[in-house]
Amino acid sequence: MTSLKRSYVTDSSAPNLSSKVYVRSTRSGKVQKIVRELYLRQDIPCSSKLCSKCLSRAPTDYNNRVLPFVLSERPEGTKSAPQGHYVIPDTNAFISAMDLFEVESAFHDVIVLQTVLEEVKNRSLPLYHRLISLTKSEDKRFYVFFNEFRSETYVNREHGESINDRNDRAVRMAVKWYGEHLQEAVRMRSKSAKAPMIVMLSDDRDNLRKAKAEKLVAYSLRDYVSGLENATLLLDMITEGQEARQGKPEKSEMFYPEYYSLSKMLTGVKAGTMHQGIFNVSPYNYLEGSVHVSAFERSLLILGRENSNRAVSGDVIVVEILSKDQWKTPSTKIIEEETVNKDDNPDEEDGEAVITERERRALQEEVKRVHSKNVEGRSQPTARVVGVIKRNWRQYVGHIDRGSVKTSAKQSRAQQTVFLVPMDKRIPKIRVRTRQAGELLGKRVLVTIDSWDRDSRYPVGHFVRSLGELESKEAETEALLLEYDVQYRPFPKTVLDCLPSEGHDWKVPASVDDPGWKGRRDLRDLLVCSIDPPGCVDIDDALHARPLPNGNFEVGVHIADVSHFVKPNNAMDKEASMRGTTVYLVDKRIDMLPMLLGTDLCSLKPYVERYAFSVLWEITADADIVKSEFTKSVIRSREAFAYEQAQIRIDDKSQQDDLTKGIRTLMMLSKKLNKKRMDAGALNLASPEVRVEAESETSDPADVKVKKMLDTNSLVEEFMLLANISVARKIYEAFPQTALLRRHAAPPKTNFEELANQLQVKRGLELRTDSSKAVADSLDTCVDPSEPFFNTLIRIMATRCMMSAEYFCSGTQAYSEFRHYGLASEIYTHFTSPIRRYADLEAHRQLAAAIEYEQLDPSLHSKAKLEGICKNINVRHRNAQMAGRASVEYYVGQALKGRVCDEEGFVMKIFSNGFVVFVPKFGIESAIKLRDLAVPEPESTLDYENYILTISGSKNAKVELFQKVKVRISDVQEESTGKRKIKLGLL
Amino acid sequence: MPLDTSTYALSLLRLDGRRWNELRRIHAQISTQAAADGSAYLEMGNTKVICTVSGPSEGRRGQGQGGEGGKARIEVEVNLAGFAGVERKKRARGDRRIAELQHTLTQAYTSTLLTHLYPHSTILITLHILSLDGSLLAATLNAATLALIDAGIPMSNYLVACTAGSTSFEESDNADPLLDLNGQEEQELPFVTVGILGDGDKVSVLVMESRVQMSRLETMLVVAVDGCKRVREILDGVVREHGRNMVEGAVG
Repeated sequence: MTSLKRSYVTDSSAPNLSSKVYVRSTRSGKVQKIVRELYLRQDIPCSSKLCSKCLSRAPTDYNNRVLPFVLSERPEGTKSAPQGHYVIPDTNAFISAMDLFEVESAFHDVIVLQTVLEEVKNRSLPLYHRLISLTKSEDKRFYVFFNEFRSETYVNREHGESINDRNDRAVRMAVKWYGEHLQEAVRMRSKSAKAPMIVMLSDDRDNLRKAKAEKLVAYSLRDYVSGLENATLLLDMITEGQEARQGKPEKSEMFYPEYYSLSKMLTGVKAGTMHQGIFNVSPYNYLEGSVHVSAFERSLLILGRENSNRAVSGDVIVVEILSKDQWKTPSTKIIEEETVNKDDNPDEEDGEAVITERERRALQEEVKRVHSKNVEGRSQPTARVVGVIKRNWRQYVGHIDRGSVKTSAKQSRAQQTVFLVPMDKRIPKIRVRTRQAGELLGKRVLVTIDSWDRDSRYPVGHFVRSLGELESKEAETEALLLEYDVQYRPFPKTVLDCLPSEGHDWKVPASVDDPGWKGRRDLRDLLVCSIDPPGCVDIDDALHARPLPNGNFEVGVHIADVSHFVKPNNAMDKEASMRGTTVYLVDKRIDMLPMLLGTDLCSLKPYVERYAFSVLWEITADADIVKSEFTKSVIRSREAFAYEQAQIRIDDKSQQDDLTKGIRTLMMLSKKLNKKRMDAGALNLASPEVRVEAESETSDPADVKVKKMLDTNSLVEEFMLLANISVARKIYEAFPQTALLRRHAAPPKTNFEELANQLQVKRGLELRTDSSKAVADSLDTCVDPSEPFFNTLIRIMATRCMMSAEYFCSGTQAYSEFRHYGLASEIYTHFTSPIRRYADLEAHRQLAAAIEYEQLDPSLHSKAKLEGICKNINVRHRNAQMAGRASVEYYVGQALKGRVCDEEGFVMKIFSNGFVVFVPKFGIESAIKLRDLAVPEPESTLDYENYILTISGSKNAKVELFQKVKVRISDVQEESTGKRKIKLGLL
Repeated sequence: MPLDTSTYALSLLRLDGRRWNELRRIHAQISTQAAADGSAYLEMGNTKVICTVSGPSEGRRGQGQGGEGGKARIEVEVNLAGFAGVERKKRARGDRRIAELQHTLTQAYTSTLLTHLYPHSTILITLHILSLDGSLLAATLNAATLALIDAGIPMSNYLVACTAGSTSFEESDNADPLLDLNGQEEQELPFVTVGILGDGDKVSVLVMESRVQMSRLETMLVVAVDGCKRVREILDGVVREHGRNMVEGAVG
């Protein structure tokens, strides 16, 4: 019998083989032991251009290419290392100061160790992605060194050594090896030259101490940055490191309760005693948060600072339900942090309490009200936060609170702690240490939150950069884009390289034998035209209609063939998929695709030939579809109409040419289609839409107009919907698992409860919500004969009760869940705007594969990848909408600057110390606080059952929900910030 | 979180430190089980397989006594140890994946072995998978080949197998093929298992269960076939070494 034992000594490959054993726990709480092989080798290059030895044996890819070496021959020098230096940062350096590494003026020639990269990925996925994109940037010269695979730098975990200690040791080992290796490399070139110094950066004291003991050059981030040029600016970007915090004497007082351990929370959530959800803060009351969990139909309320326990809006948190006697109704008060805690001292002092006296009073009034009234059936369960699963902190834009600055002299370089008030009211003030407080006053500033410890009332953050003067157009626009995470940098070269080399001279090839014509139908003789908003340059869609001999009509929707130019997975496609959508601001458009494509080559401009993706239907005169067909095509648009222009053309009886007749046919059919859709229960919702008219020369906002809806708008819309639905059916049929569709879930009944109740009480109207049809019908009955706007107001409010529509991958939902509630369609996708939406581009690719025009890219076969794409574009879509709205809001504010006007408004919401008024003329919505109505603040009683606020004392008035009020609109400059704000006053 | 296959582009190194064209360590022994007619033990990286062969022998009763048409009948039994994977799992007898594996192996050897020499008899190949880390089909094929050689059952040449994958995240024009995938790579990337007979380019087993672009398939096949040839040399070395030992043993 032969033994299975084998001796490693005789095995020639043994010395370069190791294995990695580690334990991980799965989501379900199971512990798994994972064993991995590691092949240790000696040919992993150092990637320094100084080293010729590594270059000769660097790994090659299948085509025998070697990756270019990254680290510069002549790196920047420092005071202590005039010959130049390479930096090797430890994990904590990246975690705490990624912003710093992204600065363009410093941190070049950085070696990212594999150990560090892995740890960063472990700690934070977003930071990992940022680090990866740094390694791809050519001028930053970041190199990932796979130290764990190089036999000289591989470190075995010793018995009893913690994994952190082992990783620290691996980092030091790599630093040491690099030093020696470069020394050798440089000596081979010339005897006298000095090799670049290898500098280790770490904020871990222990690691620093050990490194110094091993005679390595190691600095803490702060020390290193102090030695650089423009150190003061960079120093502000360093997190209040652990170093600094450790240095502080232990504080006796803790303001917030400790979080539960992760395992305790997970077991709690599993057992149903705790709940997990996303923390949302009310925009009217910063002390009131809510979290929606699956176990409860209604959202859980989280009241007060102590209960919300350091959670910031957007975090994934775990909550514990409070006992029933503490359940409350949602707040009826407007509480703004700015006004309540105006005089806080930004320096941490011992006298600080978690809840300030003012806050306590504000909350107490709440409690009184709850106890004094019969609130049965109204109260919502309340909860407190016991832990945070995932922080969703991002960078926040805000301004420095003037009151918190001690010396505002610009020259003063003294470090001081100031408060940053974020633009987003739901985010608490952020404590920032800076040396340039004087300079930053009155500027828009970008910061990030670093931590929020138990002993600090406010989160602690650091300065990232200044965007410019408050209220300047540039700063405000950039602030908006940052706040909504819109990618607005110019397209990088790699993206522009993907454009056709002909540039603007590109034409549809004249010869029909050209490969571009393969599989395309020649539709150049059709009378196609486009109808868009005035001034539209990225024309996605064009239409045509013509009668058929059998009495039916042929209708065609032609969409720009973007997928012909943007091939899957190239740099342009990746950029587009990241951007997800074009963002429209009042004075600016941030494109998803480079201008050349969006406004020229893809855009279905009139009088020129363009590639298109066409959907052709045969439709009866009653607007029933006989058959539909999809094809890639070449078209020539005859005219590009603006909505109004098209309307005039239709109405003008003297125009009898075929093109006009075609549009009239389209109009006739679209009305029938619309009727059908409405009968099926499609909702006609409303959102306040206004348009800012700009002065043509200065592009300063001049006036605000409410957008008009013309028949031609709905003409285009109807056919786009029809095309989207037809395409959705087709791609779902071809790819039942991976079709990219769009759904709109039915809202849960509870969403409408409040509105239904308000209508019932105030107007005796019934809002039925059992189906979209019922909602549509009952919304139609919500009219006030004396007030035409009332119906729109209700529609606006109803829209806010809806869920938001989302993109999804068909394999992830049951067919019944595909439904688009608002459009009352079984299935839906986005197909008609590929220039400005990435989802449409993907739908184009899927449709092209479904009609066997081309092969489907593998990324569109993978459910996991599509899910990732959907997730991203859903977020981008929402952000783009919000950014657009915020931009309109800003410009409305600018347009009203210095003016005072009286307008009609409607009461939308009532609080005990104020109410919210919506002004249709400008589409603005703003809270009027009683405190601002008269001095001293008038008394008030709120009749919550009947939604009536009675004001007495210094001013007498009665305000009801839905009531029409006259308001005076003016703008005021806020003292603390110097920022202009729209203010409404009751007349 | 450990890194994933997307880091390949950063350094042209795979998750375990190999380059694209490197095999994992292969270790093999034959005649490990004296009681069996033929046996072998094979490791490809952390995938570990024991194979025993019994027969050619009279078929089990009630099963039609051997093959039809004057050929031997090949039976394959695959046994996946509960401790082979990451999680301890007891697999049901009728596990589909195992059944498919058995079927593939049966097909492969029915056409490779000179079965006409043994009419009315059965050759039973039993495989025990002790540890699982990717390239399972390839490892079982290689182990079975060794065990069949040990059993002295005539076949026209070595049937050796190997996997090849493709780095799917890259642009389609410069995706690298990868040789001999480990478990993690198999989960993330498309791959194909190729078995060839002898040292020519004759493919006798080809299994692919993932989607991959047509344009990449050819390079994957080339790389896999090349890998198979290298595997064959290693196995051949094992067989010759064993033969030498036997001869020396017999003389000495």
